[in-house]
Amino acid sequence: MMGGLRNAGPHADIDKYGRRLSATEREKLLKPYLPPVTIKEPPSEHTNDRSGSFHHRPRVRPAIRQLVYSLVFTVVHLFFSIYIRVRQLYHTIVGRILTAVHYHHRTPELIRRDVKSLSKIPKHLSVMLELSPEGGKKDSLETLLNDACEITAWSASAGVPTLSIYERTGVLKASLPNLHRHISRTLTAYFGPNSPMRPTVSLRAPNMPSYSPPYSPETNSNDASSAPHLNIILIDATDGRQTLVDLTKTLAEMSQHGKLSPADISNDLIDAEINESVMGEPDLLILFGDRIVLDGYPPWQVRLTEIFYAQDNTGGVGYHIFLRALYKYARAEIRFGR
Amino acid sequence: MASAYSTHMSRWLSSLPPVEFIIQQLRETLIGSLKCGPIPQHVAFVMDGNRRYARNHKLETVEGHHLGFEALAKILEVCYKSGVRVVTIFAFSIENFKRSKYEVDGLMDMAKTKLVQMSEHGELFDRYGASVRILGDLSLVREDVLEQVNRAVEMTQHNDQAVLNVCFPYTSREEITHSIRETVKEYSTTTTKSDTPKRPFSESHIQRTIRNHQLPSVAEEEPVPKDSLLSLSNADGAVFSSDVDSTTEFSEPDIDGSSTRQPASSHTSHSPSPVLRATKPTTSKKPDASDTFLDPETISAATLTKNTYTGAPPPDGTCPPLDLLVRTSGVQRLSDFMLWQCHENTEIRILDCLWPEFGLMQFLPVLLEWQWRQRRVASGEDAGLKMH
Repeated sequence: MMGGLRNAGPHADIDKYGRRLSATEREKLLKPYLPPVTIKEPPSEHTNDRSGSFHHRPRVRPAIRQLVYSLVFTVVHLFFSIYIRVRQLYHTIVGRILTAVHYHHRTPELIRRDVKSLSKIPKHLSVMLELSPEGGKKDSLETLLNDACEITAWSASAGVPTLSIYERTGVLKASLPNLHRHISRTLTAYFGPNSPMRPTVSLRAPNMPSYSPPYSPETNSNDASSAPHLNIILIDATDGRQTLVDLTKTLAEMSQHGKLSPADISNDLIDAEINESVMGEPDLLILFGDRIVLDGYPPWQVRLTEIFYAQDNTGGVGYHIFLRALYKYARAEIRFGR
Repeated sequence: MASAYSTHMSRWLSSLPPVEFIIQQLRETLIGSLKCGPIPQHVAFVMDGNRRYARNHKLETVEGHHLGFEALAKILEVCYKSGVRVVTIFAFSIENFKRSKYEVDGLMDMAKTKLVQMSEHGELFDRYGASVRILGDLSLVREDVLEQVNRAVEMTQHNDQAVLNVCFPYTSREEITHSIRETVKEYSTTTTKSDTPKRPFSESHIQRTIRNHQLPSVAEEEPVPKDSLLSLSNADGAVFSSDVDSTTEFSEPDIDGSSTRQPASSHTSHSPSPVLRATKPTTSKKPDASDTFLDPETISAATLTKNTYTGAPPPDGTCPPLDLLVRTSGVQRLSDFMLWQCHENTEIRILDCLWPEFGLMQFLPVLLEWQWRQRRVASGEDAGLKMH
């Protein structure tokens, strides 16, 4: 549709005879794509064709045009909503099938087999969970805890060393000891109570003392090869903007007391501080919603994170999404920058 | 070969005058009808895939960037005609300086050529009422390019209907760092009494005015000098700000500046601070209270937002929040773009097409889906899900 434009080749800034285009010639090329001249502008270039006719303001034509526009709008949206419903249905069915095909049966060996062919596994995996607004507060918290435990077990089986769980409201952070109890119960269900392969887990949240379980076996330093270790970081919305604001406050105070000059504030300094106080950059972020909305996820850290979501997913946390994200990540071409 | 021939044919066909006319009319109708629904106020694009497109079509890399620029021109037309107010594009990342010198020079030359062209066609920007703003660390840009940048920005400065933000040597982390640095600078500036410019108000006069207000009978007796009429109204502001600072309503256009300083005046118990606020503070002049600083506790996310590159208000008000971020070429990451702006409620869309292929037909479904969601939210179907 841009044929006229492309044939003349303004991107090369020369026409088909190889001459350089002048400003007026370029303008001529663009003319069909421009909006009509606004009224406040003097109609300098249109004086020739307008001088003959008498001036009157068109009233009927804009009204008809508006009518046509709203008609087209309605029709387009009608078809679009049909399309989107069909698409949602399709994705739901695909999701159901994938759930049935890829089921982990709470067996770490199966999960390990699923990810064995992958060329790389994210070193730092991040997931975003949402407290569902429906149902009682207790129920939704229970669901949230269960989801977190399942993801922990899958990550541990797949060999992910660091897992961060983002939950906007911070309710997960608040129930940290409870979550730890749940997690060790789930891991026992997956790995068996006395398996040497049962991973050790440490759970922490920024700005909170690390929760070290009393019965955590300290033997993992001796034979680290047999029992992998999983670091879990719980984050919420305050670890995003608010942390950067707090950092600014501290820096401003230091600067006011002459301990630091504003010129010292660099990318590296902030990066080091944020890494220290919250966490590093995740390699992969999995969203279980139906579209990509970061919903307050820490902005500093998601710079190069690969973001995975399943289009139109309404089923919440599912193993097939987790698996698809890992597959997608392994196939992705790593390119720094853009 | 066959595909090359067919594209040639389709190009020839679409360049036939009647076909071109019909396509043009269809485009106009579609864009016009989009206006009937909600339209995102601020859209950002990551123009990814120019190099891959060039590689796929066996073109020079720079040629791919040129085609990308053409696609940009088309998409800007769609955006501005359908009512998007601010478009932000990722033109050049600071990381891109790591690419081959040849390509970087090519990109810089292209930027310069396009900017020169833009200045030649300033009228085109006037038709959309669009002003160009460059976001990024301009200290990294070559001298001759910088000159053209400034020229283009100056030329379109007077337009206030739409904004084109060009992120030129930009990364979002640099932006956040910049914002933090600016905030720290702002909060660590002290001005001593000596270099304060002389203000047209005297404390004693204001105190007298306050007394006059409290005792209106006295005010009648004392004739108010003509030249202090202005100071009288300002003194009103000072009276109110000294007792309850949250209720003050200043008619100054500089809302950002005063709102951040406002709580500070409540913390410092110095008497001159409310008076100082009454004198119109220009942006260059920092409020001074002999040797006290602004309280760092008053720093908030809004302060940092204000100091980001997008935070500086365009002529007609503040920059609307980012509604939609579109990235082409299927890479599912933000690549250090608009992190601060897009991590809240922005919808991020990742499309599989390469940027030079991106046009109305690719953008339309994105816009439609956005409209569809907005309408659903508005109609309350989603209300329960949205509230948390």
